Amino acid sequence: MPDALLSVRHLSKRFGGLMALASVDFDVAEGDIFGIIGPNGAGKTTLFSCIVGAQTPTTGEIRFRGERIDGLPNHTVVKRGVVRTHQLVRPFRAMTVADNVAIGAHFGSGKHRGARAERRVRDILERTGLASVSGSLAGTLSIGQLKRLEIARALATEPKVICLDEVMGGLNPAEIVSAMALIRSIRDSGVTVLMIEHHVHAVVGVSTRILVLNFGERVAEGPPQEVIRNPAVISAYLGDEAAGAEED
Amino acid sequence: MQQLTSVILNSLLAAGLYATMAYGLAVIYGVMRIINLAHAGIMMLGAYVTFALFTRFELDPFLALVIVAPLFFVVGVLMYIAVGKQITGGGSTPSIESLLVLFGVWLVLQNLAYVIWTGDTQSILTGYTMKSIKVFGVRLGVPSVLVFLASAVSLIFLNVLLKRTYLGKAIRAVTQNRDAALLSGVNADRISAAAFGLGTAFAGIAGGMLATLMAFTPDFGRSFLLKAFCIIVLGGMESVTGVAAGALVLAFLENGLAAYTSVPTSLQDAVSFALLFIALVAFPQGITGWFARFERRTAR
Amino acid sequence: MKIIGAILWAATAVFVLLAPLFLDRGSLNDLWNLAFAVILASAWNLLGGFAGQVSLGYSAFLGIGAYTTALLALRGVNPFITLPLGALIAAVFSVIIGLPAFRLRGPYFTIATIGVAEAIRVCASSVSFTGGSSGLRMPAGSFDFNANYFSMIVLAIITVALAAWVKRSAFGRALAAIKQDIDAAEALGVNSTRFKLAAHALSAAVVALAGSLYAINFQYIAPGSVFDFRLSLSIVLMPIIGGLGTVAGPVLGALIFSTLQIKLLSIPALRDSFLFIYGGLLIVVMLFEPQGLVGVGRRLLSLSRSFLRPRMADA
Repeated sequence: MPDALLSVRHLSKRFGGLMALASVDFDVAEGDIFGIIGPNGAGKTTLFSCIVGAQTPTTGEIRFRGERIDGLPNHTVVKRGVVRTHQLVRPFRAMTVADNVAIGAHFGSGKHRGARAERRVRDILERTGLASVSGSLAGTLSIGQLKRLEIARALATEPKVICLDEVMGGLNPAEIVSAMALIRSIRDSGVTVLMIEHHVHAVVGVSTRILVLNFGERVAEGPPQEVIRNPAVISAYLGDEAAGAEED
Repeated sequence: MQQLTSVILNSLLAAGLYATMAYGLAVIYGVMRIINLAHAGIMMLGAYVTFALFTRFELDPFLALVIVAPLFFVVGVLMYIAVGKQITGGGSTPSIESLLVLFGVWLVLQNLAYVIWTGDTQSILTGYTMKSIKVFGVRLGVPSVLVFLASAVSLIFLNVLLKRTYLGKAIRAVTQNRDAALLSGVNADRISAAAFGLGTAFAGIAGGMLATLMAFTPDFGRSFLLKAFCIIVLGGMESVTGVAAGALVLAFLENGLAAYTSVPTSLQDAVSFALLFIALVAFPQGITGWFARFERRTAR
Repeated sequence: MKIIGAILWAATAVFVLLAPLFLDRGSLNDLWNLAFAVILASAWNLLGGFAGQVSLGYSAFLGIGAYTTALLALRGVNPFITLPLGALIAAVFSVIIGLPAFRLRGPYFTIATIGVAEAIRVCASSVSFTGGSSGLRMPAGSFDFNANYFSMIVLAIITVALAAWVKRSAFGRALAAIKQDIDAAEALGVNSTRFKLAAHALSAAVVALAGSLYAINFQYIAPGSVFDFRLSLSIVLMPIIGGLGTVAGPVLGALIFSTLQIKLLSIPALRDSFLFIYGGLLIVVMLFEPQGLVGVGRRLLSLSRSFLRPRMADA
């Protein structure tokens, strides 16, 4: 893809004897909602860690807007416009919700200060439905609210690309529907979305393209309907018999 | 050549003591994930108790170690019950609170020593303190040789304990993988108490041995504590061989510096501290950890 | 609530500034000592309390300030002019130490700082150009009590104001984020190393200024006094007792500490027990209320609020 916003080539990551990622390639176009699925331990979170700079790849290249970002520290990548949320939420529990989001506003790519920062924080709290708890300490929030806070903080950094790591984990069906709506609204506001998810139906419902990983390797990539019918994908999730059954 | 032999032998002697001293710190860290700053105070108490036994009962300091070790084990268990239980670090890095609490304990112990024995410099002078023997043409002080032998005995005992007894295996298990060990039925509380006792006992006998080598005041634990840190950081906090390796490196560096350069003795401590600093920054996993990483990189 | 606080602070500042008009020399000396303690505690708190990086080596910066002033004064420079230089050297030094040391987390950083401070003390005692272990004496005629008093008081007021400003600023929020979850902070764009270095340098500079004023006042400095480990310990103990990471905490801690020291020194029986007391305080605070006095105060406040809240049971 010629003008991919985010481009990953031959990305590998080894931890001692374990190959967490093995030569992964894919492109993400601007405006995509790019889903990433795969069984547990497939390397999905490691992929995000490498993209934002929380981990350094063993080999491979990651390009954002044509420039290499692999090997850059996390805070630099965020300032360039690529941010991630954490699968296990990491709020600043002793700070208020508003202050949590303010960190993103101050130190992300927007670098807001003062009144502008406060406005931005208020906007984001509105959009993510956290305005009512803006003065509460993050440590007092429910898990659903904490997940939204995780997203809110990331959005406050004014990213071009946001990497959502299993934001729907543990949500009930109604919450999943509103999460999908939120993701679409994020994309509509001009932010390209990468999302790791286990809820295959939700991912299929919202994504424009899906990448399937297993054992750190790319199994398939393409439009959702194609990918879920791919026999390799089915066997990765359910075993070879299921793939055989699908073909019959 | 003579000088090299001298450096080697003196380093070996020092390393034995250092390893004993460092191990006390390492076992508490390994099991409880806390850094015991009171270690310095306990070493200091070990010195004073040995001194007291010597002056009161004319008990040879090395024989006194047989009393000091179990005594300090009990003291360690009591300390754990009083203070240690509340501060066990569950996470991977020790907490600042635990560090500071044990720091407080160290201060209290120092004051205790000042009150009981005053701040005067004390030393233990036995019949053999001034004697020396010749080994491979090098003159070695008798106390140093005895200290080395005593350290060797305690480290052998430790090794047997770790490899052959339930307690030892439990300690190693918790050190390597706390969660797995707990799931296998290890009683965290009891093992922690035992580890604290063991660490305290080792600190106590290290202190007792140090008392035969030099004069001491209640303030004396500090530079040894820093040396112990240096060793543990160099050797990695999680293995006994690592501790021994770190002890050897430090001992060689100190003796080598003294023999081959004109760095004055007063600055030698600064060298240890500089080494500690460099070691902490360059080898976050200790030297053994660094080697392990190297091995894995070539395994495939 | 905030207005009451501001008024209290302002009143205290006015009181200490006007004190020479109605207090005797002895009490002014006590205030001077208190101001000294407040400066050290508040400055340390910037890195230790706000950012959560506990350094047990701040005596190094005090010594740098004191020695810079003494050495230059002995060569004929007006002592007060040496202040900025001492602060600068301390700040630079803090960055040199910080660059490698801040790669370490939590207690490992703390241990590294112990090592550094000890190394400096040993060097200062051994090297002759710093006067060796016998120290340095300031040139005669440089003692002016009023100047000393006001400079220390003003520095104390500035330091506390600085701490308050940092706390409310974006810088302060970054430090708080670093303290709670450094990786999460980095994931939101916070360059944690830069902020740690900045807090370290700022606090080092302030402590060095206090060190310079110390040298000017006491006229004699030695490695045993300015590079002493117990000093580093006291500097840490004050904010801990008062409340880490707050603005009032270090001030309260300094107040208690100074008062305690004065009382202890006057009771012969207790004079040798200060280690007991420091150690005991440290243990008690860390075990029962790591938030210090401010934490105790907050707990009391929320307890009283829950008593006063109207009952909902009958709704």
